[in-house]
Amino acid sequence: MPHTHRKVILMKETKIKIERLNCYYQQKMVLKGCKGAFEENAITTIIGPSGVGKTTFLMVLNRLYELIPNCRVEGKVEIKLNGRYLDIHSLSLPALRKKIGIVFQVPNPLPMSIFKNVAFPLRLSGVKDRKYIKEKVEEVLKDAILWDEVKDRLEDSALKLSGGQQQRLCIARAMITQPDVLLLDEPTSSLDIEAGLKIEELLEGLKKRCTLIIVSHYADLTRRISDHVLTLKDGRFREHGNSS
Amino acid sequence: MKSSIEKLAEKGFLFSALLSASITIFILSFMFLFSLPLFRGGKIVEFLRLGWNPYEGKFGVLPMMVGTVIIASFAILIATPFGIGCSALISVFSQRNFGRFLRKLVEFMTGIPTVVYSFVAIFLLVPLVREIFQKGTGMCVLSASIMLALLILPTIVLFLTDAFNSVPKNYLNAAEALGATPVQKLIYVIIPSAWKGIISGLVLAAGRAVGDTLISLMIAGNALQIPKGLSDAARTLTAHIALIIASDYESPEFKSIFVCGLILFVFTMLIVLALRLLGYFEILRER
Amino acid sequence: MNRLTEYGITIFSWITGIILIGAIGVLLSFLLYKGIPALNPSMIFGETSPLDALLLKKAVVDGLFPAIAGTILLIITSIIWAIPVGVASGIYLAEYCDSKWKPIFNFLLDVLAGIPSILVGLFGFAISIFLHRHLSEHIYPCFLISSLALACLVLPYIIRTTEQSLGNLPFSIKTTGLALGASRLQNILFILIPYNLSSIISGIILAIGRCAEDTAVIMLTGAVAMAGIPTSVLSQYEAIPFYIFYISSDYNSQEELMKGFGASIILLGICVFLFTLSNILKRKVAIRFATHT
Repeated sequence: MPHTHRKVILMKETKIKIERLNCYYQQKMVLKGCKGAFEENAITTIIGPSGVGKTTFLMVLNRLYELIPNCRVEGKVEIKLNGRYLDIHSLSLPALRKKIGIVFQVPNPLPMSIFKNVAFPLRLSGVKDRKYIKEKVEEVLKDAILWDEVKDRLEDSALKLSGGQQQRLCIARAMITQPDVLLLDEPTSSLDIEAGLKIEELLEGLKKRCTLIIVSHYADLTRRISDHVLTLKDGRFREHGNSS
Repeated sequence: MKSSIEKLAEKGFLFSALLSASITIFILSFMFLFSLPLFRGGKIVEFLRLGWNPYEGKFGVLPMMVGTVIIASFAILIATPFGIGCSALISVFSQRNFGRFLRKLVEFMTGIPTVVYSFVAIFLLVPLVREIFQKGTGMCVLSASIMLALLILPTIVLFLTDAFNSVPKNYLNAAEALGATPVQKLIYVIIPSAWKGIISGLVLAAGRAVGDTLISLMIAGNALQIPKGLSDAARTLTAHIALIIASDYESPEFKSIFVCGLILFVFTMLIVLALRLLGYFEILRER
Repeated sequence: MNRLTEYGITIFSWITGIILIGAIGVLLSFLLYKGIPALNPSMIFGETSPLDALLLKKAVVDGLFPAIAGTILLIITSIIWAIPVGVASGIYLAEYCDSKWKPIFNFLLDVLAGIPSILVGLFGFAISIFLHRHLSEHIYPCFLISSLALACLVLPYIIRTTEQSLGNLPFSIKTTGLALGASRLQNILFILIPYNLSSIISGIILAIGRCAEDTAVIMLTGAVAMAGIPTSVLSQYEAIPFYIFYISSDYNSQEELMKGFGASIILLGICVFLFTLSNILKRKVAIRFATHT
C-alpha cells in the first residue's frame, strides 16, 4: 500500500484539548507548555525519540501519572463528554479510566482465565447480569479479532496465549467499558510483524467507536493507519512534516 | 464499589496499623508504669549497681546484666567465625549441591524450637561440660554460650549468605578474569563489598542472643553471682524475669523485674537504631 | 596473601561446616534415639482411652493430650487476632501510607519485631495485673492473655510479609487494575492480594510456627504444668513447649523424662513442617516473579 501523506485540512470535533501542559518528572521538565487537540473518532499517532516523554504524556491523560513517584503536572487537559468539555481532574479516577482506556507496550493480562480477564472491568463496575457479560465479552473479542482463536477455550488461563494474542486480549479488555478514548503505548513494538499488522487492522476498525491516541516508535508501522501524526520534541507537539 | 465502603476500608486499615504500632508504645508504657515506684524511691542507681539479695533488701540486677553480657558475648564470639566459615562454604567454596544442602540444613535449624535445643543440651552437653571442668553441675556460662551460639548461627549464616550473594556479579567476574582464586575473591571482593550485610547479621544475632530466655534459664545455672569464669553459673536478665515471676506474686522484688524489662526494651531500641544506620532495613524492604 | 593462608582459610571453612553438620546430626540422633521409644499412644493419652479423651469424657492426667490440645487452641486463637490486624496493617503500610509517617511506623514495628519474647510475656503479665486490679478480681494470667500476647509477638511477621510482598510487585501489576478503572480497594482485593496470596500465607504459617514453639511468653501468661483442657478463656492451660521445659527440671522417673523427649520430637516435627511449608511457598513466589515480565 503506497504511503500517502495525509494533510489535515479541516479537523472535525476535538475530543481532547491540551493547554499549557507542564509535566515534571524528578525535577526534569518532560512536557513544556504543551498544547494539542486530538480529533474525535480519529487515530492520532505520536512519534519521537525514546525517553522524550511520550509514555508519560499518555499517563497524564488518564491520570496514571499520579502513581509515578516524583511526577507533577500543571496545566489543563479537557475531554469532551456528552457534548461538554470537562477537566480530567474533575472526574473520579475510576470513572475517568473507564472513559479513557489504556493498552501498554507489554501486554499485562491478569492471572485469570481469558473470559475473566476481559470481563474484569465489568466486574469492577458491579455488573452482575451474566448474559450481558457474556455478550459483551464476545463482542469485544470479535472487535479485537481474537474471538475465533479463543472461543473454545475461554476458561483457559490468559497467560498461555501468545504475545500477539495477549495484546489483543488487552485491547478487548480495555474496550469492554466502551471508552470514548483508547490510549495505546507502542502496542506493536513487542510483537512480530504479522501480529503487529493484525493489531493495526483491528485499530482501524475501532476508530468509529472511539478516539485513538497511539504512541509509536516505528514511524512506518502505525502511521499507515493514522489520520494525524504528531512529533513530541522538546516537550511540545509538532505536526509531523512530510519527511519521515 | 461505593466510596463509603472505600473510606471505611481505608479507616479500618489505618486503625490496624495504628494498633500494631501502638503495641510497642504500650509495652514501653507498662514497663515504665510498673517501674515507677522504684524510680520515685530514688533507688534506681543502686538498683543498677548492687547485687541481688532480697533478704537484705537489695534488688540490684548487676549480676544479671553481667551474666547477659558475658553469655551473649561468648555466644557471638563462638558463632561469628563459624558463621563466616559456613557462609563462605555455602557461597564460595563448595560445589552447588553441597552448598545447597548446607543452606537447607541451616534453614532447617531455624525451625528448631529453642526449648528443644535446651532440653537436649541438658542431657547431652551439660554432662560433657561437667566432665571437662571436673567440678560444678555443668550448668554454666560455657554450656549456655555454646548452645546460644548454635541458636544464633542460622541467623548469621543466612544473613551472610544473602549478603555474599548480593555482591554485584560484575565485581566477581572481574576478579575471576584477573585470575583470582575463590579465597581471594572472598577476601578482596566479597567481604569488603558485603560488610554492611555482615555487620547487620551480627547485630541481629547479638539482639537474639541477649533476648533469648530458655537457654540461659535451663542451662546457665541461674546463680545470683557475677560469673568470673566459664565454669561459673550465671543468670541473665531474661532468665531472671522468668524466675521471679514463677516464684512470687505480689512481693517487693516484683517491681524490679519491670526495670529489667525496661532495660531490655532500651537495648532492643538501640539494636534497631544500629541496624537502621547500617541500612539493613532498606535492604530488607527492597528485597 | 600466600598460598598457605589461603589454604588455611579454605580448610577452616570446611571444618566449620563439618562441625556444624556433626553437631546437628548428634543433636537430632540423640533426640530420636531417646524419644522414639516413647512415641506411643499412652504417651499422649496416659491411662485414659483415646476415644474417651478425644470426646472429652475423661480427663487425661498423665499424657500429653492436654498440652497438645492447649497448644493447638492457643495457635488458633492467637492467629485469629493476628491475621486480620497484621494483614490490614501490611496493606495500609504498602498501599495507603504517606511517606511522611512511614519511618515512624517502620521504627515502631521493627522494635516490636526485635523485642525479646520474655518482654512480650512480661507485658502480658503486666496487663493481667492491671486488669486484676482495675477490672475484676478473677482475672489472672490465663489463656486469653496468652493468646493476645502471642498475637503481639507474631504480628510483626505477618505485617512484614504482607507489606513486603505488596510493595515488591512489579509496576505493571500494581497499575493494571487501576488502569482498567478499579478503585484502590478493588485493586487491592481483586488483584494484589490474590496475586500475593502465597507470600501472605507463608508469613502466616511462619507466625503459626512461632506460636507453637514459644515458651517465654506463655510461661509468664498462664501456661502451667497441670491444668487439663482449658474450659474457659480465663482459665489456665497446658502447652507442649512449657511441658518440655517443666519436665526438664522436674521429672520423677525415667518414663516422665522419656515423655519429655517424645514431646520434643512432636514439637520439632510440627515446627519443622511449618517452617518448611512457609519456605516452599516463599520459593514458589520467587519463581513466579522470575518468569513474569
